Amino acid sequence: MDQNRQGARASYVALSIFVAVWILLPSAVRRLNREAFVEFQAPALHLLGKSRDLATFWEKKSRSVEEMSAAGRDLARINAALEIKVNALEDLRRENVRLREITRYNVPAEYMSVVARVATRDSSSWWQRIVIRKGRNDGIRPGAPVVFGNTVVGRVTAVHLTTSEVDLVTSPGFRCTGYLEGDDQNHIVLINGVAANSLGTAKARVSVIPRDYSMPAGQQARVFTTGMGGVFPSRLMLGYLDGGTYATQVGNFKESLLIPSRDLYNLQEVSVLVPLHQNPGEALMQGDQFQ
Amino acid sequence: MNESSDNRVLPSTPVERLRLFGVFFFFLAGFLYVVGGLAYRQLIQSNDLKEQSDTQSRRVVLKPPARGRIYDRNGFPLVDNRARWSVKADLASLQKEFRAEYLRLLSAERAREAVSTDREKIMEDARVRVLQGWLNKVWFVIDETNRNTKGRKPLTKLTTVTAPTERQVNIDDLRKHLRERRALPFTLVNDLAFPGTGQALTSEDGVKSVARFIEQFPVEGPIRLEQDIVRTYPFGVMASHVLGYVKDTDALPANVDDISEVRVESMQKLHYTGKTGAAGVELSYDHVLSGRSGWELWSKTSSGYNQTRLKYSEPEQGGNVLLSLDYRIQQAAESGLANLKDPQGNLLPAAAVMLDVHTGEILALASQPSFDPNRLADRVSSKYYEEVEKLGGWLNRATQGLYAPGSTFKVITATAGMRKKVVDWDDALECGAFFRVGNRDYPEHEPVGFGEVNLDKMLAVSCNVWNYQVGLRTGIDALAAEARRFGLDTPLLQTVSDVETGGLPMTELPFAANRGLVVPDREYKLRIGAGTWNDGDTANLSIGQGYLLTTPLHMACVAASIARGETRTVPSIIHSVERNGRHLGAQPIGLNPDQLEALRGGMVRCVEEGTARVARIQGLPYAGKTGTAEYFKKGEKAHLAWMIGYAPAENPVVAFAVLVEGQTDTNTWGGKTAGPVAKAMLEAWAGTAETTKAAR
Repeated sequence: MDQNRQGARASYVALSIFVAVWILLPSAVRRLNREAFVEFQAPALHLLGKSRDLATFWEKKSRSVEEMSAAGRDLARINAALEIKVNALEDLRRENVRLREITRYNVPAEYMSVVARVATRDSSSWWQRIVIRKGRNDGIRPGAPVVFGNTVVGRVTAVHLTTSEVDLVTSPGFRCTGYLEGDDQNHIVLINGVAANSLGTAKARVSVIPRDYSMPAGQQARVFTTGMGGVFPSRLMLGYLDGGTYATQVGNFKESLLIPSRDLYNLQEVSVLVPLHQNPGEALMQGDQFQ
Repeated sequence: MNESSDNRVLPSTPVERLRLFGVFFFFLAGFLYVVGGLAYRQLIQSNDLKEQSDTQSRRVVLKPPARGRIYDRNGFPLVDNRARWSVKADLASLQKEFRAEYLRLLSAERAREAVSTDREKIMEDARVRVLQGWLNKVWFVIDETNRNTKGRKPLTKLTTVTAPTERQVNIDDLRKHLRERRALPFTLVNDLAFPGTGQALTSEDGVKSVARFIEQFPVEGPIRLEQDIVRTYPFGVMASHVLGYVKDTDALPANVDDISEVRVESMQKLHYTGKTGAAGVELSYDHVLSGRSGWELWSKTSSGYNQTRLKYSEPEQGGNVLLSLDYRIQQAAESGLANLKDPQGNLLPAAAVMLDVHTGEILALASQPSFDPNRLADRVSSKYYEEVEKLGGWLNRATQGLYAPGSTFKVITATAGMRKKVVDWDDALECGAFFRVGNRDYPEHEPVGFGEVNLDKMLAVSCNVWNYQVGLRTGIDALAAEARRFGLDTPLLQTVSDVETGGLPMTELPFAANRGLVVPDREYKLRIGAGTWNDGDTANLSIGQGYLLTTPLHMACVAASIARGETRTVPSIIHSVERNGRHLGAQPIGLNPDQLEALRGGMVRCVEEGTARVARIQGLPYAGKTGTAEYFKKGEKAHLAWMIGYAPAENPVVAFAVLVEGQTDTNTWGGKTAGPVAKAMLEAWAGTAETTKAAR
């Protein structure tokens, strides 16, 4: 009995000492600890992502020959249509090159694109964050925009050696500026992620919409990036205004919700646009200018 | 013995019983007192106590609404609102940082072995240093020159001393904020689109600055981005005297008593600085434009900072005002005035008015020099105020400027003479180089005179001698009465009751033409101690000189009245399609058709071949009358250039007046100086009329 009591006392003492040490530890040690944990976790995340890819591969491989030949037929049709499109785009590209040569216009590449597979979703922030299988070793830096095609997916918030964390457009930690389709005066609006409830669809809030803005008739208004904030390139698609709640008028402005144009839950692959030059926001995130 | 005493449980004697009951009642009374007190507080006082508790732990924050817009008659916004993005620090979230900095400074002070330690001062320093640190970060992000930070050396820590002025935390502002509005966030950058200087950035730069902050500054933390509304005047200085400007107000909003949470007297109320009209339509229609304030009910921490927002109601924007101005005509008038410069290149003080002949609605009302209400919409810098003051830009010369009307008054002299039957439209009077009145020769402006002059020719050439003769024949009493009949002594743009106007919105501009108007007569001269009235005074008045003082708006109304064949025009700055064109106090002009025809014909001839021929417009015959009055500027003689008129000559639609204050060293004449401005306005009006016709 006494031994039990002594053991219990010892464990309480040990716990107290651990808590005290943890509180008193310098923040750098704690950060290092957290970083070490993430790096320790990284191979597991890689393995998880790859096993999901493998599962998808075997799921496709197990399909019947009839099914595959039907899919092949459909694909051939789509390919034929795309080939025509490719030719048209090639014409446009040539015309673009010709015009650039005439005007001696040379657009510097501001971003380096890094393609990355999605490893997992971070459940700690209600699935508003994904982890990708590229990190510092691949040149990814914090603050870099993440896109899929011409659609904004989110923004890199933390970079580790081989993985990176990305806040999705619908994450409460995401904020950017946008233009609304149909607003001739190009007023900038504010896009902020909203914490989703457990069963609801994740959305972002679009605020500071001018009171006299009216949506284009018969279609959902698209929201684009402005390219003015120094983070996102211009004219990338952020999503659509939610028509159902559009008329909400908040204070001196209107407010609406943004429906992301991609299903952010089913992303397999994304591109990280790493800026060639470090911007002030990135410096602030790394804290190297003010520490 | 002992046994018997141990077994005695209940008091047996009456005394002991009495004592026991005493104790029992004492405790019972105490118990009832406690229960009763509890019940009293719970059942009777509960509402009061709850209210008391609420008011101690809660506060209401009032938020100002957006003001309504002001449009021109065609719906173009002349005054609008733009989003203002401000960076604010949440002081409650910064408490830990303040404390840490305070302890650091305190230990440094102790290490210095200071004789006395002023803890208040150290706390203030700590707050300023922390806020300055955050302000440095904000500027680091919004400064365009930091676009590429790769390879840059780390920023040195700017302090309130080393940072540029516009990038410093203002200690006085911080003190005031902590004293009066501690619970509200403290403003670090007031307007991200125009940080620091409050001007000079292009709108694109402004938007970039906002966008950089939004996208690059960390979302979480004590620094917040807030949006509110600031007044904007898209056309800058255009029509600024009509539109006016807004100023800050710390007064509680008008609808404060409608808010139930605010009605609790002991509830603490905080409110953001609002805006109120300070001049022009912004002031006179403040009750329409100002809207209803919103409010937020907050619980507060023990240190007095806001904790949780419990309830809120959004502000409601104010109503819009539709002015009678047409911005295209207004622009033309102001461009025309801007061409008037003295030899040194300074703008000449001037005014121009155009109004609808039938409704009295003002289509353009310009005064030069002017001011930019955008520079007054937020904070008025004393430098800008003095700059405008020095130029005389605050005075609305169209409605407040008092001038002798000069020869434009001759239309009234002629009307008075014909109504008194001392002259008729076809009478020819001999007009030489001068006319003798008493012992003095009153000159003609043409050295050789004009010979025989009738009404038609008088108006075309602006003959003075004709007017001296007719004025003297008419007499001062009839002449002054005629001027009053045309409303030259009547205030304009004043509030008129709804009953009088038949329920229509009526005109009003603050500081309108209502003070200092003079239609001189015998009593007036005696009253000012200038002696008795003489014929020389009458001769002077007959050509619009002497003591007579009026405004360009009054003279535009005279032109409109003649165009309609009436005596009064009531101008309006508000557009209403229901306006029926009734003009209060208006009477028929009192001339027979031939006389009226001759009066109008003379004004048309004035433009076609007379003193206003420089302002002739091909394809648009119109009526005009020029005037060149003498006045003294800084003790030296100078000229006022006038032109009034209406257009088209047949079926008039618009009437106008232009006035230019000539300088002592300039060559200023009615037709030559004021004519081109009138021409510019009329051409703009003709363009808009064509557009309207085409649209129909």
